[in-house]
Amino acid sequence: MTIKLNVINLPKDDYKGGPSSLCPGCGHDQVSNVIVTSAWENGLDPKKIVKMSGIGCSSKTPAYFLSQSHGFNTVHGRMPSVTTGAAMNNKEMTFLAVSGDGDSASIGIGQLIHAIRRNLNMVYILENNGVYGLTKGQYSATADVGSKKKKGVTNETQPIDLCALAVNLGCTFVARSFSGAKKQLTSLMKAAMSHKGFSLIDIISPCVTFNNNDESMRSYGYVKEHDVELHAVDYIPSFSPMEEVEIPAGAYRDIELHDGSVVRLQTISEEHDPFNAVAALAAMHNAEKEKKHVTGLLYFDPTKPSADEDQNLVDTPLSQLSDEQMRPSKESLDEILAGFRGQ
Amino acid sequence: MDTIVNDFTLNIATANGTGSQSANLILMQTIADMGVNVSGKNLFPSNISGLPTWYIIRASDAGYQAPGNRTHIQVLMNKATWEADIEACEPGTVIIYNTDVKLPVVRDDCLVLAVPMTKMARSIHPKLARMIANIIYVGVLAHLLNLDDDAILSALNKQFKGKQKAIELNSTALALGRDFAAENFGEERGPYRVEARDVDDDYFMIEGNEAIALGAIYGGITTLAWYPITPSSSVAEGIINWLPKLRHDEDGKTTCAVIQAEDELAAVGMIIGTGFAGGRGMTATSGPGISLMSEFIGLAYFAEIPCVIWDVNRTGPSTGLPTRTQQGDLSMLYEASHGDTQFPVLIPGNMEECFEFSWRAFDIAERLQTLVFGFSDLDLGMNKWKCSGFTYPDTPMDRGKVLHTQKEIDAIENYGRYRDVDGDGICYRTLPGSGIDPILYRGTGKDEDGTYSEKPEVYHANMERLKRKIDNSRTWLPQPILREEVELEIGIIYYGSMENMIQEIDDILESTGMKVSQCRIRSLPLSPIAEKFVRDHETTIILEVNRDGQMYGILRKELPIELVPRVHSCAFSDGMPPRAIVYAKKIMDVLRKVGATTEVLS
Repeated sequence: MTIKLNVINLPKDDYKGGPSSLCPGCGHDQVSNVIVTSAWENGLDPKKIVKMSGIGCSSKTPAYFLSQSHGFNTVHGRMPSVTTGAAMNNKEMTFLAVSGDGDSASIGIGQLIHAIRRNLNMVYILENNGVYGLTKGQYSATADVGSKKKKGVTNETQPIDLCALAVNLGCTFVARSFSGAKKQLTSLMKAAMSHKGFSLIDIISPCVTFNNNDESMRSYGYVKEHDVELHAVDYIPSFSPMEEVEIPAGAYRDIELHDGSVVRLQTISEEHDPFNAVAALAAMHNAEKEKKHVTGLLYFDPTKPSADEDQNLVDTPLSQLSDEQMRPSKESLDEILAGFRGQ
Repeated sequence: MDTIVNDFTLNIATANGTGSQSANLILMQTIADMGVNVSGKNLFPSNISGLPTWYIIRASDAGYQAPGNRTHIQVLMNKATWEADIEACEPGTVIIYNTDVKLPVVRDDCLVLAVPMTKMARSIHPKLARMIANIIYVGVLAHLLNLDDDAILSALNKQFKGKQKAIELNSTALALGRDFAAENFGEERGPYRVEARDVDDDYFMIEGNEAIALGAIYGGITTLAWYPITPSSSVAEGIINWLPKLRHDEDGKTTCAVIQAEDELAAVGMIIGTGFAGGRGMTATSGPGISLMSEFIGLAYFAEIPCVIWDVNRTGPSTGLPTRTQQGDLSMLYEASHGDTQFPVLIPGNMEECFEFSWRAFDIAERLQTLVFGFSDLDLGMNKWKCSGFTYPDTPMDRGKVLHTQKEIDAIENYGRYRDVDGDGICYRTLPGSGIDPILYRGTGKDEDGTYSEKPEVYHANMERLKRKIDNSRTWLPQPILREEVELEIGIIYYGSMENMIQEIDDILESTGMKVSQCRIRSLPLSPIAEKFVRDHETTIILEVNRDGQMYGILRKELPIELVPRVHSCAFSDGMPPRAIVYAKKIMDVLRKVGATTEVLS
């Protein structure tokens, strides 16, 4: 039996992690599988990936994928700042970060906002289930009005839509998907991995234990019934280029990413233009009005420099500088001191 | 009248935002350039414009750096504090006041000199009169104190960095003030004079924060992440100012990232990310920032990530007095964050050490794989101090136990991220991107291989190793500096900015016939030398600028039990730059209480 290898001659097993300790059937495990598949199919070197996470069920998952990559399971909600420091010191790495709605919509919303503002070069995978799982089922700030948990009262507080927030902040890649929509999610994940800048993928990832009764708007049953696909996304990696094609209006569209790879958007809605922030907000707003989740690549802006480009760093990653590059010469200190002494 | 030479304290009362700081710095720089020992204290409000500010300049041939026991010359510019400033003058004070404030000065027991400062300034430049009035009092003082013309002009040049227009305007104002004083206060000019001494060309004046900034750059900082907070902001701004000259290549590309973070939590997260990736990260903050960073600080301790935090202490608790000084964060730093922790704390006492400890902090952090604190305060950080220069780092960078190749890992039997193969508590680490032995860092329990574990014996062994790791640094971190008397009766343990006051305290105490030894602690955890100092002396005072005696508490906890009765706390803090007489009297009170002396200071 031959083992299938990817473009850098690695088997898919090289991208796997340890066994999951999440509840059986958890949507997060499906996302982990998608991360494994996407990284493998994209031909990323696992040794050049860094896994980041905060605290919560979702943040435990970096142990379940890419065991050949370094990682950091940090503190609650503050993963973006640790990623910022790491990214400044090794800009050659691909940062795959997993976070939850407790992390991202509450305690860490400030850090999420500022990472978007800086256009930090990272993939921010938000596993969103509207509930705090590890502390046993409290509502999070993304829980929809009218949602009802297995036990307890109906949520009456308005949710925060992190995709809408991200579009307003000028986030350069904003997508929404569903952990059960493997094909669409894999395409979006691969596109995000190729994007140079901040990619937010808000993944509705149902909690099978605390938020999966039919009255919850993030249960499997509810989402499968009400999910509207904005685009069917088909990802084409750069190592297997496709001939460019003329796009007939309303059919599908190719968007070139930073690494030369292309994401193909099959447009269901003829009006939606992923470069148009207002259209993205309208799509989300209209879906919300109809109590539906709109999925697909909502917004994309490939023009903004990423945080490390803004810094104008030297070519060598800062973590690999020589002592001579890090410590100025003795002559320079002598010169400064002479200046202080008025000489 | 007899003159008093190079031994006086001058207090200048102005309002914030009137440009008085330039005038005061020119005055101090002039005295320094005449070779006379001088120190300056800026007592500023938490405000940009309008609130009262005082600047205290002390000239002292004895070499004293703290503000003197009393004010000898008082300059009155500020309406808001007019009466209180006058009332605070002791008999014999020379009072110079701005008549244009239009408030009376009735003090028959003082030498009162009236100067129409604003009117004179208006004659030079009506729009800038308020600012120029400050240079008029410098001119008046130049006459009264007999300041050297060339020294003033040189100081003026330094202050305005060669800007011709500003220099001309201010020179004119200076001459006007000086001529006015010469005409009107020929006989009645008071006893205080500045006399030139031999100038030591090596010395210059600098703020502690700038010395720390330069030290960080020579220490190889690769990421500065910071959030503005008084009195630490000028550390970060100092780094930012010097980077283009020192760390940019010919294309303007930098070897140090600078991020103004969204808050202190993010700032510390960023430097932890830096250490994780293999860079050298640093932030500068003050007490409130440390409070916010606490959770992350524990993560750095437990996951063993190197990084450096400088705390420029202001008064707490809470917002406290943001623009006043204190040594009130020491115990917080030493055991910061929840659970059992302990951190190396480097405590410089002068400008030379601010530079040295700043570059050394990175070596210590990477060697110990932990977060290292630098501990300064507002007094040291934001006032200008005499400095003899900085010594270029005399040791190569210590990047610690980092493995770069599979061969290096293979050479270690049974490698694990948290396995203590050398017996010193310090384990080997690999970096992201190296492609060897990856680890998922975490703040939760883990075993020697870095794998998640909740086993009690695994947790306990790891915590004991961490303790051992930090404990081992006691003998090689910056060691205490001793000045011991042969009598070995009374010892004083002190630290940090108190260095600038200790000589004067010593002279005051020894005027009673006592002989007092001193031990300046320069780092935590405590060196065995500090313990020996306590053992060698009959009575030891722990002197510090806080309420509760924080270093005293640390000593009580760490000294052998039989030595505890020998140490006594002398702690006091009111936010002001410490004055020697205040602390000397408090030391005497303690010594009398414990029966070590019967003397009373006059």
